[in-house]
Amino acid sequence: MLLNLLRYLRGYVCFTVRGRYPERFINIALHNRLRLWSVERRDGEMTACMYMRDYRDIRRYARKSGVCLRVRDRKGLPMLLRRYSDRTGLIFGAAAFVITVFVMSLFIWSIDITGLDTISESEMRSLLRENGVSVGAFRPMIDDTGVSRSIMLSDRRVGWMAVNITGSYVSVEIKEESPSPKVESIVEPCNVKARRDGRIIRIDAEQGRTTLKEGSGVVTGQVVVSGVMDDQLGGVRLVHAKAVVLAETDYHTSFTIPKTVMTYHPTGEVKQRLTADVFGLKLPLTVGSVSTVDVLTDETAASPAPLDVTLPLSLFRRNLYAIELREVSLDDNSAKELLFKEARLYEVFTLSDCTVTKRDYHFTASDDGYTLSADYTCTEDIAVQEKIGTE
Amino acid sequence: MSKNNQQKKRRLYELPPMNNQPCIEFSGNREVVIEGSRGVLEYSTDCIRVNTDGMVISLSGRGLNLRCISDSSLIIVGFITNVEFII
Repeated sequence: MLLNLLRYLRGYVCFTVRGRYPERFINIALHNRLRLWSVERRDGEMTACMYMRDYRDIRRYARKSGVCLRVRDRKGLPMLLRRYSDRTGLIFGAAAFVITVFVMSLFIWSIDITGLDTISESEMRSLLRENGVSVGAFRPMIDDTGVSRSIMLSDRRVGWMAVNITGSYVSVEIKEESPSPKVESIVEPCNVKARRDGRIIRIDAEQGRTTLKEGSGVVTGQVVVSGVMDDQLGGVRLVHAKAVVLAETDYHTSFTIPKTVMTYHPTGEVKQRLTADVFGLKLPLTVGSVSTVDVLTDETAASPAPLDVTLPLSLFRRNLYAIELREVSLDDNSAKELLFKEARLYEVFTLSDCTVTKRDYHFTASDDGYTLSADYTCTEDIAVQEKIGTE
Repeated sequence: MSKNNQQKKRRLYELPPMNNQPCIEFSGNREVVIEGSRGVLEYSTDCIRVNTDGMVISLSGRGLNLRCISDSSLIIVGFITNVEFII
């Protein structure tokens, strides 16, 4: 294989030897340190191959040995170059290709980040960009160890980081710092109090003396499980009271909406903007704008990745939807629908720690607008620990 | 191959010293490498005779060809049926 490649690079000639004693020709050639290969005897003549440079001197040896030589074929790179020597464009094109490949390989084409959990990828890309690692960055200027050290020092959330540069591809491996767990004091004396008014359903006390019974009412700040306990000697001892106090609690809220509201509506006008990203350089291909001031946009990016190799080229397609503010008069049904949506959001976000057991809604319409009064009955843990002592 | 190289190879393979003798290596009856040749005396598809120091090696067979040849060694391929040493 390697020998064939060397022969191809040097160029060789396949020729035919005709005569009475081709063996003599072989011996004379070998005596002059000329290499022959693929020597075959066929139909009274002999064929062989030798390097192109050697073939120039072989005529006199052929005359000496009384054989006649005829070139069958010339092969190899020198022949190829000679064939295309007149086509300067082709040579320049090949040279330009080689130079382009060389220059392109000096820049970063793509960055892959793995190991992110709480830190967002865009945040990490921004940090990398600040430290000189971005698509289109000059590869020899990147200090991979320095970048990882700098980011680890600047952002405490990054516990360990490695920037690996393979050709034009950067892979960033990250291990995020694990936050130290909050250690709960189990010896500090404390009471368990109620953090909200309610009616106690159940008390599961791990430690401490229960001061209220199940079914009784409780107000905010009232001690439910005391950390002060009597001992057998008639004295008192302080303990770290801990309990789960399930209670039925009430929530009341109201949502109001005017009879006329201002909402955004699409006008139907849509424009598209195309932007090419070449090595991080954004080039606008088409420029479009809508007639309204307010615009809703969405953007999609397409990056070619032949054979799983991400190229430093991206095409961003941004759609601009024209929207305008319109005054809309609400009727009872649409107002109800909007107010119930708000009530559902209130449940999801404000009452997330509770189990809602009962809901009462009261819808009223007045000249000012529509109002939805909501009463919720929930079951929740109202226990809160408060240490015994003075500040 | 020079005499020096031949001697080195013999020492490497723990072969007894063979002054000016050719080194012949067979791969079955399909290929033979002869080191220390002094020229080809006869070359046809049925018979190849190679001159070495002190003797002539004659190989007979079918479809014999010289795959590669240099000033001191050669590789013969084909179906070898007979080897003869003419001293």
